[in-house]
Amino acid sequence: MSTAQRRIRVLMGKPGLCGHDRGIVLVVMALRDAGMEVIYSGRHNSPESLVEVAIQEDVDVLGVSILAGGHLGLCERLAKLLRERNAQDIVLLAGGFIPPEDIPKLKAFGVREVFRDGAKLEDIVQFIEQVAGERAAA
Amino acid sequence: MYLEQIKTAEDEWRQRHQDEIARAESAPAACEDGIVLKLLYTPADAKADVYAEVGFPGEFPFTRGNDAAGYRNKLWTVSHYAGFGSPSETNVLFRRMIDHGGVPPYMALDLPTQLGLDPDHPMARGEVGMAGTSVASLRDWETIFDGIDLEKTFVGTVVNAPAAVFLAMHVVLAEKQGADLTKIRGNLQNDILKEFTARGNFIFPVAPSLRLVTDTLEYCAQHLPAYWPLNVCGGHYPEAGANRVHEVAFAFADAFTYIDDAIRRGVAIDNFGQGVFFLMKTNHTDLLEEVAKFRAMRKIWATRLRDHYGAKDPETMKCRVLAHSGGSLLTRERPELNIARTTLACVAGVLGGIQLIGLRTMDEVFGIPTEKSELIAIGTQHVVAHETGLPDVVDPLGGSYCVEALTAEFERNVLEELARIDRMGGMVKAIESGYVRKAIAQDAYRTHRAWESGTKVKVGVNKYRIDEDEPPRQPYAYKPEEEQRQVAAVQRLRRERDNAAVSKALERIVETARRPAQSESNLMPPIIEAVRAYATVGEICGALRQVFGEYSEPTSF
Repeated sequence: MSTAQRRIRVLMGKPGLCGHDRGIVLVVMALRDAGMEVIYSGRHNSPESLVEVAIQEDVDVLGVSILAGGHLGLCERLAKLLRERNAQDIVLLAGGFIPPEDIPKLKAFGVREVFRDGAKLEDIVQFIEQVAGERAAA
Repeated sequence: MYLEQIKTAEDEWRQRHQDEIARAESAPAACEDGIVLKLLYTPADAKADVYAEVGFPGEFPFTRGNDAAGYRNKLWTVSHYAGFGSPSETNVLFRRMIDHGGVPPYMALDLPTQLGLDPDHPMARGEVGMAGTSVASLRDWETIFDGIDLEKTFVGTVVNAPAAVFLAMHVVLAEKQGADLTKIRGNLQNDILKEFTARGNFIFPVAPSLRLVTDTLEYCAQHLPAYWPLNVCGGHYPEAGANRVHEVAFAFADAFTYIDDAIRRGVAIDNFGQGVFFLMKTNHTDLLEEVAKFRAMRKIWATRLRDHYGAKDPETMKCRVLAHSGGSLLTRERPELNIARTTLACVAGVLGGIQLIGLRTMDEVFGIPTEKSELIAIGTQHVVAHETGLPDVVDPLGGSYCVEALTAEFERNVLEELARIDRMGGMVKAIESGYVRKAIAQDAYRTHRAWESGTKVKVGVNKYRIDEDEPPRQPYAYKPEEEQRQVAAVQRLRRERDNAAVSKALERIVETARRPAQSESNLMPPIIEAVRAYATVGEICGALRQVFGEYSEPTSF
């Protein structure tokens, strides 16, 4: 099977202890409606376990959502772990309650894009389709 | 006869204004939960005999209010909500508030504490002291309440999964102060069921979690009669996206589950029913339905407590409702409009006759609220209380054709949803099967799609948008030095205490937890002994984890 025919695979997860998942569940539903294969990890995951699952499941995208303020530390660890496992080609996306001034810091860690609360589901779907397409072509 | 006449008259009126009415009804109006809003309500829409249905205020079924005189004798409580940092900072804040004649605010705990993890647990990294105070052991509780007389102070704690540990800390500290336990007042949130489906701070699987709640209810019924051990939170459901019928039905289904379990244990309903109250949302959206919701809640609750649970004391039958406006309805765009939203939310709660109202601050969408916006939120309630005249009349919308019809329909829909949950085998089954999560997720998805498509208006966001820069914010900043201090403190505690006594106490918790849930194996006494020996929250929850395991949530929608 050629990679072009492969459905886009996404792991959506909540790292750390934050329990708010209204936003991430909406994204999970929208990505599924768009025909992607989505694994939702549920809450209370360590960055280590998310990266492990992302590699095991051979996903194109790892999307995380954090609303309790721990996004900088958690995303830095996630990006570092992906690099250590030589899996930096998995596109790391972050969403949640993230102040705009933190976005450049997250991108410097290796987060490809940040979708704050209020981001449109359609925009998230389109972005993932685009980066997954680039990844398949590479 | 009278109603027939009205119906005929309405039909004739429709004929006379046919075009106008047809145009208005071409797009049907409905509340978010699907309850249809008619263009016009008449006595034919309200029940034939409204007074037989709703009665008078202060009397069964309490639809028109818990108290005969409504707000004229006693206004609703204007709630104060505040956050704070370390145990010693919290102590300073509490003492200052008490010195000024107030009561301490509800205590917020950080996430590691709420999840039963000590500050030095690997998963706690970066989250210690962030969303509230970090409390690792009785030693922190002693610091927080240093110089505060627990016999005279109402202490509310927002804690769920490890609630039993916090009740134990409070009991031990009260005993150390020489307080009379029968006079101790306070409140635990202790509503674990909604953690599984909405708020997310769960530890153990559902059944043992429920056992812990019942253990606290039973312990309080026996030893702390003035303490309120349970605060059923419907309000977390709409924040997670649920519609209003689901908000109420799920909150009641949770409450009935706790009551059923406590009654099975042999606790009499009139001995603990008054310590159960509801923390809901009061929102400005579908405002008339919000009023109907509070009225219907009182009727459903009173009826169920009297007829099903056999409550004899009318005080037990009263559905006490505290409500905050919903943070998820605030917007970052044109944030000043959040004041308008919360003002209307306050009005909805007042027209609904509830006991306590808390309003969100206009700028908390950006981070920690400013003092100015806190004062606006409190002042908004003072305007509604003292300038509108609304508190002068009990249940002023009672008898409104529309509100009575909505109240009756809301009640019907909630009872239907409760019956659906019963058919599934009860709320525990409904949670474990993923039904509740799925229902909430689908509500949230529908609402979100409606906002994105613009069929549902959010002023400033999808209509009347004005693009402006976000104001400077005060974010919830992570303080590594705070985390290190708490880590060092808990490690010092583990060196200094009598570790043999701690091990023995933890072993007793494990042994008790292994026995079936019943009065003889209530976990409160061994938890109290462990707390007294300065076992940490993480160690006590760890002992329970050993026996109960951890909850693994359904993740399909």
